[in-house]
Parts: sequence; structure tokens; C-alpha cells
Amino acid sequence: MFTKVLIANRGEIALRILRACRMLGIGAVVAYSEADREGLAAQLADEAICIGPADAKHSYLSAPAVISAAVVTGCDAIHPGYGFLSEDDGFADVVRAHDLAFIGPSAEVLERFASKEATRRLLAAHGLMTIPGSTMLRDEAHALEEAERIGYPVLIKPSAGGGGKGMRLVRTARELDSAFKVSRSEAKAGFGDDSLYLEKYLDDNRHVEIQVAVDRFGNAIHLGDRDCSVQRRHQKLIEETPSPALTDAARRDLAERALKAVASAGYENLGTLEFLVDGKGEAYFIEINCRIQVEHPITELCTGIDLVALQIKIAAGEPLGIAQADVVSRGHAIEFRILAEDPAKDFRPQAGMVGAYLTPGGPGVRMDSHLYPGYEIPSYYDSLLGKLCVWAPDRALAIARGDAALRELLVDGVTTNIELHRAILANQVFIDGKVTTSLLDRVGSAPFVAAGNR
Amino acid sequence: MPAREKIGNQSQAEPEGALRVQRDHEAIARLADDLLPALIAKLASSGLGEIEVHQGGWKARLRMPAPTGESRRGAGRALDTTSGLGHIGRGIAGRSRSEERDPRPCPEEEAPCDPNPTVARSPAVGVYHPRGDLAVGMRVRAGDRIGYVNVLGVNQDVVSPVDGIIGSSLAEAGEAVEYAQELVRIELPERSAEADGGRPGRAPAGVVGQA
Repeated sequence: MFTKVLIANRGEIALRILRACRMLGIGAVVAYSEADREGLAAQLADEAICIGPADAKHSYLSAPAVISAAVVTGCDAIHPGYGFLSEDDGFADVVRAHDLAFIGPSAEVLERFASKEATRRLLAAHGLMTIPGSTMLRDEAHALEEAERIGYPVLIKPSAGGGGKGMRLVRTARELDSAFKVSRSEAKAGFGDDSLYLEKYLDDNRHVEIQVAVDRFGNAIHLGDRDCSVQRRHQKLIEETPSPALTDAARRDLAERALKAVASAGYENLGTLEFLVDGKGEAYFIEINCRIQVEHPITELCTGIDLVALQIKIAAGEPLGIAQADVVSRGHAIEFRILAEDPAKDFRPQAGMVGAYLTPGGPGVRMDSHLYPGYEIPSYYDSLLGKLCVWAPDRALAIARGDAALRELLVDGVTTNIELHRAILANQVFIDGKVTTSLLDRVGSAPFVAAGNR
Repeated sequence: MPAREKIGNQSQAEPEGALRVQRDHEAIARLADDLLPALIAKLASSGLGEIEVHQGGWKARLRMPAPTGESRRGAGRALDTTSGLGHIGRGIAGRSRSEERDPRPCPEEEAPCDPNPTVARSPAVGVYHPRGDLAVGMRVRAGDRIGYVNVLGVNQDVVSPVDGIIGSSLAEAGEAVEYAQELVRIELPERSAEADGGRPGRAPAGVVGQA
């Protein structure tokens, strides 16, 4: 096992990793940018080190800064969290070259799964159904040609990265031309890689993902599914497990097929396979995330397995220590992403100082957040303030606990999406478990909030 | 100033250029007499950090000087009880929390944000090595290399931010340092001259470091 881990991330996930390290009895150093000097993870850490200015390019995305910080503080591993350098195979390779461990898949595994387009082909060869799509696009003319072949509407998708950045829904050839340029520049700016491909867009689909864990000895388990269909502009807002879109038989079948495909394709460490499920219940593989996911706590709530600790153990070369039969998912869990965004103003990100801050409690309530009263929310990073998660024996009670917890949650001084969450919970489409990924974008947040206020 | 000299040279060769220069000078005078005092008053009363005004083809931007010490500390007071934790920059360099810089980042993020420009800071995370001949009392110019920080085998220069005199060292040779960590105090010549009883140039080491 490692003796000391450098946490190369910020916000709630830095805090989550710090807690996992403490639980495992491992030392931890929090690497922070100048903008995060007063961040909770840096404040609570036994050791913290400033790695650069607020601009992530020169701090959280700077491989030399992160690795140098690990070297000078005597760490033997780096946990990249999610985003930033977490899926960068080049970074993982350099980390290893400095005799440090990268907590995540090896550089070779990351490289194998780096291109989303190539991963679709790889996992299709291992038995997963994929959505019709293109090869990597050379230019606009090639994009037009491929879109005609696949048939509109299509999604333009960056081959690297995630979080909906650079993704564009295109319904006509005319839209494609301008959207292609925007996606390309967003992908370049966001991920340093402007490779794009097309995917057939399925209206009214569900987003369902399967959590897997594979160690270097070939032991592999899945930890069930998560439904992330409540999205806005391809960004997840609410996640729940198990997915209301699948029957138990379909759920088991999808998880087993996903695990078999990814293990036989040579995957290692924690990973998430994302699928779109259409109205007929067919699941199409779309991409794999080779890192810890934002929404991992709901899986932890239902299985009782600490995924961050498991990830660290796998990276340290330890066997999983649990078999598939040991993984029992109980009850229902929901996660609400609490964002500093104003739903009434087109979800504009908000910055400012947190005034009063009160977290909810009660049975089955968990809050992962880096907020505290007096915390100045920096404007340099994403708007995630925390994740409110609830667990209950069944979905109806989980919704009730979610609403009660959202009522109690107080984040003063900055506009958040707490009320939107409550409105969605009260909406009959959500209660019926029938939300699709495009619903919120199609109708906007106003009808939800208005209905919630009635 | 080079830019003005260039305009002056052009004006001798081109009558149109001379007219343009005259118009520019008039515009600058208007800005200085009318607009700037109003902007300064506005900035001072607004609490804003920066204000920018566009008028005709001219643009004026005013930025508040970075205050130092306690006045710039804001966020995070609620957690001040955590002082003394083993933060590398705090622990190793021995900075107390009252000496810490404002958590708010500077608008210019390429260089370390610096409320106290008379301290040379680390440009990166790494291992600090002062220049071999660095000594207290030595005169330096802004931009002079006074050491380097080794980042994974690549040396990044530590430079003096101002013209001045080398004061006390705040980090040891071979010490692990974080980004923007204070490394060497630089005493301003006039201040050190006062401290030295009016003698310009060299100042006693014990006094230089106390500013």
C-alpha cells in the first residue's frame, strides 16, 4: 500500500479522496492552486502545497507542477480525481517514469481507451451494441458525408474529454457546418485534442451506466447501474441507482455483458461504461470513463463499498478482495448535484461568498461538499458546490428523503439550483421514472420550477 | 518613453502625423484633467478592484493597488483555527497565517500574485537554489536572476521583482518550495539608505530584512 498520496484535484472530490486516504491510514498531500488556497481540502489536509496560479493550465493541468509537488513532498502516488489529468495517458506515463503510482488505469490502458471512437469499435468487437456513428472526422466535408450516411439528427462528439464539452446536436446539414467549427474549438480548448466524430442521436433515450472494478490479476466485478437521465445540455443533474428504466433481468444482463466486454478488452481499475437505452429497452454503448465518477456516492450508498478506497487498493497492486457474490445492492439512492448556477438566468454560473451554510441530516443522508460559511467560490472552475445524496429502502422513500433534505439544505450568498431539484422531484415524469436525457433541454427549467411553486 | 519618441520622429516626417500627435496629446490632457480624477473618485468609492472606460479611440483602465497584510485577507476567516497545519509553504518557510497573501488570485495569472513586491517568490513547485554569489546587501535590478527552482530537472529562474538590495533569505538552499513561496526579501534602496543612516548602497543585514 502507498505511504503518501498527492491529491491533484480540488473541491469536493479532493476532500473525498482525503477522507479515503485517512480511512486507509495513508498520508495525503493536497495540491491546490492559488484560487483554492482557502479551499476546505487544503485547510483540512495534514499537508498542502500550492502548485500554481488559478488558471488550471498552470496548476491542476500542469503535469510538471503536479509531479514535482509529489516528488518534493515525498509522495509515492498521485490521485488525479476526475477531470483535469485523470484520463491523460501521457500524464500517467510520466508519473510512472518518476517512480510514482498513478491512481487509475495504467498508461497503456488509458491509451487503449483514450479515443471514444476507437473504444466504441473495440467494445463492439467484444460484444456490446453501439450506436451508428462515424470514424474520426477529417474535416467539414467528411462530417457532412458521414452525417448523410448515418442520417440526421446526429451528435458531434469530441473523441477526448467528457462533461458534455464540445458536444453539439445537429438536425440539418446547414447546422452541421457551424456546429462543427464550434465543437472543434471547444474540444481543442477543453481537452487539447480537436478530434471529433459523429453519433446517431436517439430522441427520448435514457442514460444508464455500469460501474466496474477490475484488478491486475484479472478479478472483475460490476457494482450495478446508475441512471443519469436528468441532464441539462449533456451535463448530469440528478443520478439514481438502480435505474427505473430497466427491469431487474435487463439490469443484470446489461451489467454482466458490460463487465465481460471491458474485462476481455483488457481494462484495469475503476471504470464506468455509459449506455443510451432507447424506448424498447435496447442499450447502446457510448463511452467509458476511466476514472472515479462524480456520481460514485450513490453506488457506495447502495453497496456499502468505498469506491475511492477500492480504486487506491487496485492501483497499489492489491487484489479486489471481493467477489461478485459479495456485491449486494440494497435500496435506492439519488444524488443531486448542487451547482452555483441560476436556473432563471439560463443557468449562468455564479460566484461569490457563501454566507450561512447548513447541511441536512437524518437517516440515509450524505453531503459531499467543500463549502463552509465564508468560503469564496472561485470563478475559475466548474460550478459544482457539492453533492447531496440520499438513500432509502425504496425509490418512493428516497424521493421523499431527497425532498426533505433539499428543503433543509441552506447555501446563502450565492444562487443555486436547489429549488430546481425540488421541482424536478415533484414532477410526475420524474416520479414515474420516465425522464429522458433531452427533457430538460426541450421544456426548459421554468415549467418545472413553476409547477414546483404551485 | 520609446513609444513617444517614435511618434515624435514620425511627426517630423509627416504633417498628418504631427496633427495626429497633437490630437493625441489633447486627448491625453482631457483624460488627465477631466476623466481620470472622476474615475479615481469612482473607483475609490465603489469598492471595485478595476475600472475600464472607453472614450472615442481611447481606453483608460484603473486598477487599485494590491493592499497588503490583514486588509486583503477575507475568505476563510471561519477556518482560521487550522493555523499551524503542515502546509509546505507555511511550515517550511515558517510563514504564519497573518503573513499569508490574499487568497484571491491576481488578474494576471502568469506570475505569482504579489501584494508585497519587495519579496522574490518561487516561480514553481520544486527545490530552491540561490545564486552562488548571492549575499545580503548585494544590489540587484528588477529581473536579475537571484537563484532558481529545480522542477523535475528543469531550472526555473527566481528573479528580483524590483531594483533593490538583497535582504534576508526566507528559504534555505536545497529546500522544497511551493509556487509563489517567499524566498528572498528585497529592500528598496531609499528605505535601506534611511535604515543605513543615509548611506546609499549597502545596508546592514539585520536591518534590511526587517522591512
